[in-house]
Amino acid sequence: MSMKPSPFSKPTRVAVILVGLLGALVISPSALAGKKLQGRWHLTITIPEPPISDKTRILLVTMDVSPRGDSLQGRLTITNEVGRTVGGVWRQVGKKVSIAYELPCTPGEQCASLVLLGKVKEGGVKIKNGNVIVMWDTPNEQNHALYDTSNGSFSGERLE
Amino acid sequence: MSNRAILFPLAAAIVLAAGMMTHSPKAAAQTQFTLAGGTWIILSSPIDNEVVSRMGNTLGFPERHMVFSEDGDLRLGRVDREDAGPNVKPLGVWRIDGNRFSATFQLWCEDASQPCGSIIMRGEFTREDRVRGTMTAFWDEPDETRPTGYDTWPMTFRGDRVP
Repeated sequence: MSMKPSPFSKPTRVAVILVGLLGALVISPSALAGKKLQGRWHLTITIPEPPISDKTRILLVTMDVSPRGDSLQGRLTITNEVGRTVGGVWRQVGKKVSIAYELPCTPGEQCASLVLLGKVKEGGVKIKNGNVIVMWDTPNEQNHALYDTSNGSFSGERLE
Repeated sequence: MSNRAILFPLAAAIVLAAGMMTHSPKAAAQTQFTLAGGTWIILSSPIDNEVVSRMGNTLGFPERHMVFSEDGDLRLGRVDREDAGPNVKPLGVWRIDGNRFSATFQLWCEDASQPCGSIIMRGEFTREDRVRGTMTAFWDEPDETRPTGYDTWPMTFRGDRVP
């Protein structure tokens, strides 16, 4: 089998490849993000209706994660479907991330605190099969957490 | 002038005065509790002598200095851990409903080989500068005996605000 000689010189081909790689990095900020959480995410969070129910509630939120810098932790904001924004905090070790925030609730509504545990995958653009710890505001002496708790799930896709 | 003519305006004046007292700005301000402002010195204590979790995790029971801020719905908190280092500032968020509040913090874990966790506080104001309640640590370590499936460790706390 014979190969057709390239019409371009070797330095030109190398330069084209390098420019292509640089372009890919510029076009895709997630490529620079690696496995870090910082950036903008769309999260789908599924939790039970409070606190003991067969029904589930799906929260579609946008999460803006600030860089941690040299710190072990960082801040973030979470904006829900109706545009209400609350603060949150996060930490990360390798692929493992933990995100904590307080549900934005209206007065009289059953409220809760959420801890989201997951892994950043696919080069830093997805979170799949994450677990959610939900601690409701209703006291429960039978629960070792002293309040009603539930488990949920979440997934995420990087937007930026 | 009849007794009715005197008593009716008097009763109306008393009712009006009582209404003004209960709706005065001062009375309303007294019920506006907030964690924001000053530094809270929080001291935790074990429940039923449970000084470590079932999986052996613990924070001990040190005094912690916590600072909270509020900007609309963005309610942030941090723990000053200058004892551990100038950059050691575990972060949290909080919300409030009347005299009851909730705060959630991430633990500061420098050793990645050890389990880390999150703290959820549930408390109430007993007066404007004093709180009490419980806090629960959820460690990132499985424990199938707990409802959440994670190692769970509750404590009580009390705290005072200092300027």
